[in-house]
Amino acid sequence: MVNRRDFGKISLAAGLAATLGRPAWAASAADTVVKAAQQYKGRSITIVWEAGLQSLDPTHFSGPKWKELTGMDVKVIEVATAEMFTKIMQDYKSGAGAYDALNVIPAWMPDLAQAGALEVLDPYVEKYGYTPELQTIASTFRDNQMKVGGKIYGFPDDGDVFLMYYRRDIFEDPTIQKAFKDKTGKDLAVPKTWADFDVVGAGLTDILKDKGIYGAAFFRQPPYAMYMFEERFRNEGGKFFDADTMKATINSDVGVKVFTGMRKENRFMPPGVEQFGFVENLATFLQGQSAMTISWPPYGRWAEGYGTDQEALNWVPKTAIAGKVGYALPPGGHPELAAGFALSISSTSKNKDAAYLFIQWLNSTDVSRQRVQLPYTLRDPFRDSHYTDPGYLALWPNAKDYLAALKQASETGLLDLSLLQTDKYEEVMRQAISKLWAGDDPKTILNAAATQWDDITQKIGVEKQKVVYAGWAAKSGAYPKM
Amino acid sequence: MAATAHPDRNFKYWLISPAIFLLLLIGLFPLIFSLVVSFMRVTMLETDTSFAGLVNFVQLFHDARLWQSFVHTALVIVIALPIELLLGLAIAYLFLDRMPGRQILVSLLMLPTIISPIVAGATWRLLFDNRYGPINQMIGWFAGHPVPALWTVNPQLVYPAIIFCEIWQWTPFMFLILLAALSNVDRSLTEAAEIDGARFWRSFRYIVPPAIWPVMSIAILIRGLDLFRIFDIIWALTAGGPGTMTETVSVYAYVQGFRQFESSYTAAIAFLVIALLTVIVTWAIRRMGLAK
Repeated sequence: MVNRRDFGKISLAAGLAATLGRPAWAASAADTVVKAAQQYKGRSITIVWEAGLQSLDPTHFSGPKWKELTGMDVKVIEVATAEMFTKIMQDYKSGAGAYDALNVIPAWMPDLAQAGALEVLDPYVEKYGYTPELQTIASTFRDNQMKVGGKIYGFPDDGDVFLMYYRRDIFEDPTIQKAFKDKTGKDLAVPKTWADFDVVGAGLTDILKDKGIYGAAFFRQPPYAMYMFEERFRNEGGKFFDADTMKATINSDVGVKVFTGMRKENRFMPPGVEQFGFVENLATFLQGQSAMTISWPPYGRWAEGYGTDQEALNWVPKTAIAGKVGYALPPGGHPELAAGFALSISSTSKNKDAAYLFIQWLNSTDVSRQRVQLPYTLRDPFRDSHYTDPGYLALWPNAKDYLAALKQASETGLLDLSLLQTDKYEEVMRQAISKLWAGDDPKTILNAAATQWDDITQKIGVEKQKVVYAGWAAKSGAYPKM
Repeated sequence: MAATAHPDRNFKYWLISPAIFLLLLIGLFPLIFSLVVSFMRVTMLETDTSFAGLVNFVQLFHDARLWQSFVHTALVIVIALPIELLLGLAIAYLFLDRMPGRQILVSLLMLPTIISPIVAGATWRLLFDNRYGPINQMIGWFAGHPVPALWTVNPQLVYPAIIFCEIWQWTPFMFLILLAALSNVDRSLTEAAEIDGARFWRSFRYIVPPAIWPVMSIAILIRGLDLFRIFDIIWALTAGGPGTMTETVSVYAYVQGFRQFESSYTAAIAFLVIALLTVIVTWAIRRMGLAK
């Protein structure tokens, strides 16, 4: 297992390799801003960061390193994800200017940009020559999670995407393969469609339940299941709105099919799966109690035991499946680029330039490569170079497959729905999902949800929202190319 | 005798005026500001903050979800309040007589009330967890097979779970107040009734409640108001779900104000609640004879 010291060596080696590979006359984006930031020595900047593991990055790694390089202090304001938008807006509305730099979920960007809470970054990008390195951010993130109305409001900084994790030892076991063939008449293979998933999940549960293993388990709590619905709905051909009228179409036949399927699948998952959140589902998979799951990238790392010897990760169940995990795209082949983070500057900051220098440094090729490999934080690869980084590839035996799957997922991934007042639409979906688990009729739930979506759209203004939706729908990751 | 000059009679008002000004600033200003906001179009997401007249107040009457939240709140009050009262009274009566370890037991009984409700809610959420929670496990021991009850998901179980937590946390409050009240009841009255041949239940019914009524009615009023604004336990357990099935007025107001950022509409909800509570509390005070 790789420990922190090994990790440091790998990072150093990779860093040297990267530095040596660059022409001598070309200063990196990180070097440029470090030099520029020295004028702010002694100054302090604040940055809003998601509370918990995520914030260990600036508190344990990047913050201290930035101080060492520039003499600037970084104060980290840890905020729970559910409160981040509110806090940012409150700070902006009050004009307090308490925050300089921000972590922003890209789906919020239109709302924050329209409200005026975010600083336009284009002049800074030009001033500090960041354009070439911005171009090496993986295209899905760069093209879809950076701009609003053609202006840069944030640097994509976290390659969040759903992957399917499965037990290779189960799928490659000849006895299980035979039992599955006898039972279903089909060969056991990692499912590529949701119809296949139903057959494989149910079949494996029947075969393995006596050993305490279920065919699959998912997180089902509404905030997580909402992303899974968004993904699956579009993979099955669903559209959120009629682009001409802006009438919600989540209650289409596709929506009802997806809702019906989601609830039906709970039957072959562990009892009480409706209550599973990120941690419950993680524990189930890492303890070897489910053959398949879908989640964010840290599952793949922790399943291999990477970083779980760190104190910060002592709550992660010890993996019983290291070396037995396979990685694939979820059924449908277009995974959700669920949540993610971008780095932005608060428009009310009194230290905009200094704060910008810090976020450019964080996001730069050199520094981001180190940050996405920190074992104790949750930043995931988002630059082309991250997926092929020799240091990362050496972290565990099949890290190559993991990074290849992540790269593929980033290329085919689907963006979270992002409109004006997105959270209002999402709130309706979260409630709809909780009603689904409570046993209500899928069609009735979705009809009510669609009516609520229409009411929200009416209130915001149909024409106004239509323009924003058209902009979002035109992005490469909005809908799969069928 | 030479006339002595009287000090300025208004001087005392000058002395207390800074405190009054401060109190008004802290207490009244937010109230007035909220009232002003309730007549505007303030949301955190729009730049338009123009005067809206009665739009937000009219919207209140068309908002089915708001009225459902009142029904949910009433449901919790109607079930939890009598149970807390009766249970508190019964336990207080038990603890009226001296017994070994009484003080320690009373202290232990009070523990739930000193826990923050949001912490209590989060703890109960863990206890109710289908997979790792001990409650299902214990039920399973009695049932003889695993019981996968989804306490925070199943529509049949969410209210029992919420009300159970509420009763667990706040019955001790009732108990303590009623214990104090019962301790002051003149024992000679019940003893005289018993000497006259009245059985326990008759002597208790006709002597104890009237004797403790002034205190008991205040306890009912305090707990009733607390239950009206119930938020923490529900937020921690169900967040108002499934759907909006357990969404109380406070939960709904929170969602509107801090999730949907509808500042003006939330202010209108707050004023509706203030108006309703004023009517209810005034009625209750008269009905309970507290004004006397």
